Amino acid sequence: MNTIRHTATLFYYDGPQVFEARDEIGGHYVAVMVEPQGGLDRYLVAGIAPERLRQFRAGLLDLRSLLTERAVADWFLALAPAGLNVPPELQMADGSLADSPFLPDAGFVLHDRVAEDLALREARARNNLVLELAVEPPEAVEEHRIRVGTLVGLLNHVQMLVKHAYGAALRDLALSTRRAIDRSNAHLLDVVIPATGGSFRVVLEAAKSPDLLGQNELARALERVDALFDKVANPELAADVLRANRGHLAGAYLRLLRFLIQHKTGLRYSWAGPTFATQRNRSISEGEAAPLVSLLSGVSNLSSESVYLEGTLEEADVTKRTWRIATADGKYSGEVKQGGPSLEGLKLGDAYKFSCIEEIEAQEGAGREQRTLYLIEHRPV
Amino acid sequence: MNYLEPLPEGCPPDEATEISVPWEVFRLVRTNPPSRDDFRSQRAEKPDAVFRVSECQARGLSVFTERSDSERALKLPRLRGRVICRLRLKSGVGRIQQTGPPSHHTWWPLAAYDILADSGVETV
Repeated sequence: MNTIRHTATLFYYDGPQVFEARDEIGGHYVAVMVEPQGGLDRYLVAGIAPERLRQFRAGLLDLRSLLTERAVADWFLALAPAGLNVPPELQMADGSLADSPFLPDAGFVLHDRVAEDLALREARARNNLVLELAVEPPEAVEEHRIRVGTLVGLLNHVQMLVKHAYGAALRDLALSTRRAIDRSNAHLLDVVIPATGGSFRVVLEAAKSPDLLGQNELARALERVDALFDKVANPELAADVLRANRGHLAGAYLRLLRFLIQHKTGLRYSWAGPTFATQRNRSISEGEAAPLVSLLSGVSNLSSESVYLEGTLEEADVTKRTWRIATADGKYSGEVKQGGPSLEGLKLGDAYKFSCIEEIEAQEGAGREQRTLYLIEHRPV
Repeated sequence: MNYLEPLPEGCPPDEATEISVPWEVFRLVRTNPPSRDDFRSQRAEKPDAVFRVSECQARGLSVFTERSDSERALKLPRLRGRVICRLRLKSGVGRIQQTGPPSHHTWWPLAAYDILADSGVETV
């Protein structure tokens, strides 16, 4: 018996009213909730061509047309006795779907207005969060062109900025809320459309699909990023925003700005989720980035974060000024800066509280960050 | 705070807004005039069901803040025949959060709040 697996809810009201699904071999389906049978949720299910499904998601096609204007006549009913976590079995339905009382009325579209902006259009069509980047390096003046190193660097800096913005956003949530969130890969972006006309544009999509309600964890990060770009026309105000976001997020932002200046380009970006009414737009010009970087470069410890460790001291090298401590979360190694506390007198095997600052150094081109913990204070527990 | 239905820890989520100014929302009801049964959550309707949404979500009520979204929803087979009910939520009636397409929200009403008596309920 053929079954379908729920992949995304398209319309929700006291339960998924319309959702999309896949069968075991990747075929696309749309399911619409109909009258229950024996107290169990029941769905009308029909196989749909991917392009027609994309049009429906984008608000270009109504649900009734999607279901009735198909190349195949087969349609199904499916009961969901255990909810949608267990793939419902498809039962072939009799008669023509066009004559079925289960059909929705004409005119049900997912969005009232057709999206004109690219990020919003793509977010709806992909049913996922989409981020569009546009830069104007010198090589893009004549044609849609960008140096490999510039593109790789740009994508890397943006990904790191989003990663740290997500971390900062999560820290503001209550512990119980944080625990309820599936954070795996939530900050990751995939490149999906590497070309549109004009300046050099890249379209990225959240690596992780949105939840049943069309919401994506990545939005938390991008809202944080938006706040960083809000005041770029006024360096003093922008610096205040960055001071409020002191730590790895500020560091990643500063590295991105330096990168833009180095490659003689500004940055524009837009993003949207599939359920947004409008897309969000932010930008910074090369001319705005330079004074901001200049101002921020004078702010000390802008990009370092405080880290507190409690555990058993496993290693302490007084000469090399290095140490290792085993905590309940794992083992951490670090260094002591010139002028920092001495490691002399510390006993291996004893328990200590270490107050540290963590600094990140980006490894250009490698797409990685080098994190270093510097001890600034220690005391026995 | 005591909510209309027992809620799991961390529910409503931090992102939910405390209703402190009047809100106008729309809910699709089965009867005209509406009854208390029209304001039961999915969990209350199906105590043993397995939902793909969080337990917190399943214990809230779906409402729209735009009437046009309610009208659109009536085109769906499971919701066809329902009646649009307008509620004027007063300050202190619980928490609400946007949880879907532009105007879909989830509302967690407080237990002390009499929805039918105090929300200016009217079918429209």
